[in-house]
Amino acid sequence: MNSKTIRSIITGCAMIMFVTAFIHTLAVAASNPDVKAEIVTEESAEPAPEPLVCIDCHRAPNINTNEGVIASQAFCYDCHKKTDTKKKVGTTDISLTITADTFNKNQPNHRFIACINCHTDVARSPHKTETGATCMECHKPHSEGAANEPHLRVSCQACHFQSKFVRLDPEDHRVKLAHANYDSVPISLSTHTLADTADEKTCEKCHFKNNPVGAPAAVLPSKSVLCIVCHNSPLAMGHPIFGLAGLIFMAGLFFMVAFWFKGSVKGEEASLHKKISLTSESVWSTIFSKQLFSLIKIFILDIIFQRRILKESVSRWSMHSLIFTAFLLRLGLSLFTAVGYYFNPQGEWIAALIDKNHWFTALSYDLLGLFILLGIIWAVVKRFIVKPDHVVSEYQDNIALLIVGSLVLLGFLLEGARILVTGIPIDTAVYSFAGYIVSSMFSIFPFDWASIYPWMWYAHGVMAAVFIAYLPFGKMRHVFNTPLTYFIEAVDGVKNEKRV
Amino acid sequence: MMKTNQNSKETYQRFHVLHRILHIVIIFNFTLLAITGFLLHFSGFGWARFLVSIMGGAAAAGWLHRFCAIFLYCGILVHLSWLFYYKFALKKKLSGPDSMLPKKKDIKDLYQNLRYVFNKGTPPLFDRFSYLQKFDYWSELLGMQSMGITGLMMWFPEFFTRIFPGYFINIAGYFHFYEAVLAVMYIGVVHMSDTHLHPDIFPMEKSIFTGKIEKERFMEDHPGEWERQQMIRTNQTDQ
Repeated sequence: MNSKTIRSIITGCAMIMFVTAFIHTLAVAASNPDVKAEIVTEESAEPAPEPLVCIDCHRAPNINTNEGVIASQAFCYDCHKKTDTKKKVGTTDISLTITADTFNKNQPNHRFIACINCHTDVARSPHKTETGATCMECHKPHSEGAANEPHLRVSCQACHFQSKFVRLDPEDHRVKLAHANYDSVPISLSTHTLADTADEKTCEKCHFKNNPVGAPAAVLPSKSVLCIVCHNSPLAMGHPIFGLAGLIFMAGLFFMVAFWFKGSVKGEEASLHKKISLTSESVWSTIFSKQLFSLIKIFILDIIFQRRILKESVSRWSMHSLIFTAFLLRLGLSLFTAVGYYFNPQGEWIAALIDKNHWFTALSYDLLGLFILLGIIWAVVKRFIVKPDHVVSEYQDNIALLIVGSLVLLGFLLEGARILVTGIPIDTAVYSFAGYIVSSMFSIFPFDWASIYPWMWYAHGVMAAVFIAYLPFGKMRHVFNTPLTYFIEAVDGVKNEKRV
Repeated sequence: MMKTNQNSKETYQRFHVLHRILHIVIIFNFTLLAITGFLLHFSGFGWARFLVSIMGGAAAAGWLHRFCAIFLYCGILVHLSWLFYYKFALKKKLSGPDSMLPKKKDIKDLYQNLRYVFNKGTPPLFDRFSYLQKFDYWSELLGMQSMGITGLMMWFPEFFTRIFPGYFINIAGYFHFYEAVLAVMYIGVVHMSDTHLHPDIFPMEKSIFTGKIEKERFMEDHPGEWERQQMIRTNQTDQ
């Protein structure tokens, strides 16, 4: 290679370096805002905007992929990230600014969800939503704990968004997040900040005195699973007092069964293990034999339809059936609701059964409750006023009547207060006829019912806890003993002592 | 064991009520798990789609599958608590001749049985459980653990991918499927033929449902246990 070639290579390299440096300087100048501004002012007053292609907007990214979600979000942020994105409500400007950083910080679990996944009807002209943000497309309505049917008419955002202001929509009687504060000044909700629903403070945005949505003045615990005897209820403990009642109930059952096993089983006196295995053996051989059919017959005729009491006396049967059958039907209805809710939480039937203002639910629960109350009154009249010779009142009978009677009575008073406090329209409330009458009576008295309601709730709840705890003791033990005795009598033939 | 008379045939108790209930729990859940699981796996086929639609769709079938899995596992937990009860409350030995633990005798029995099958020597004298029954038990018990773990991995992939790389979920899926095939084949072929197809027992072995075993069957199928019980009985009568 001669020197000429080397020289020309060096010259070439130098030329290339020079040109590159020149272009690079221009590029740096262009990317530097100050310099760019100079350039812009030098070249033209308005920079020519990048020409929009139709497909920049009119396309549908696949929002089931992360790429599509990000592309779709970017399209929304393109306008909404600007600090001057706002709408006018009256004379006030409401900020509609939301940046990706703010959103991802406030809603970390929705980072990879496209805006239009929740704001389903905004991608159109005019750019305006009628449905608001939808949650139920992905999230099932939850029944656990506090958010069961008392909050059936509360929209998700009212609890889950961090805004202090709520309103009762007069059109559909639903509690919603307000777009204005309590001085009617419009507020912005664009930050999407979530509330900490585990904190009771969140509940207090509705549950305070003189609230605008008709909520009780105090935050009440949820119903307990024990309430399933009469109401549809969540799978929760509720207040600790229900937990205590449940424990007493279990302990009572345990002692009751332990007492049964104190006797001898088929000659076995000592070993509990042998007693249990002998008992289970005979239960097994009964279930897997033709005797099962006679047991089913007894269950239907003697236990559900109370045939043996009917044989003794029609009036006694009517009285007992008013209480027992109504309890059974309420239990059946609430069990059906609970199971149905689990399988189909958004079903029409289940929604109607959970909503205690729905005409069917209101009517049936009120009617059945009234039956129980009538049965109790009948029994009280018989025991304390008529006093026929064959009725011997022991203190245990009176305790049972007192507990069940006051439980149901408190229930009706509570219902009346609820109808009054939540301001249910008359055409809905009339179906809870007993509660509606109570509420009309209450409305005469100028008390602060929203503050009294929580106390009535606790009175009813404590009475329910006492009722559950008392079941395996005293008079109420007949709920377990009598059916078992019927079965054992049928298996062993004649009326003899208990086998177990 | 207690002696009971039924239908004038002399029978002895072989299984407690608890174990009969547990066996029914296993039958019920295993069958439903197999049906729903295979239907979900072969979802590309028309017949599977039809059957799944009867169940209420793929989501319902999946729900049923997980429900049965939990139900079945509750059965295992009850069984384990029975073992604790057996050891600590009843103060019985878990390792005795009544136990499910594999022993040297099982290998000898297997060898002797193979010789017997080829017409050499006498059949082995099984104790309470034969080696095949023990193998049934252990393959089911251990198989359910690995099915459980791989199933949980597919149920909660978000949790497990914090520990394992993502392809472990796919591996778990393969393990879950092929072990299901193995389990169904084992139960359907080995367990069924071992219990029901014995010429003296055919058409059906009922002792796991009635809890009772006839004297002749007891003497023939479990001679070891029979001998031991006879010795206990003679000792009791001597005293």
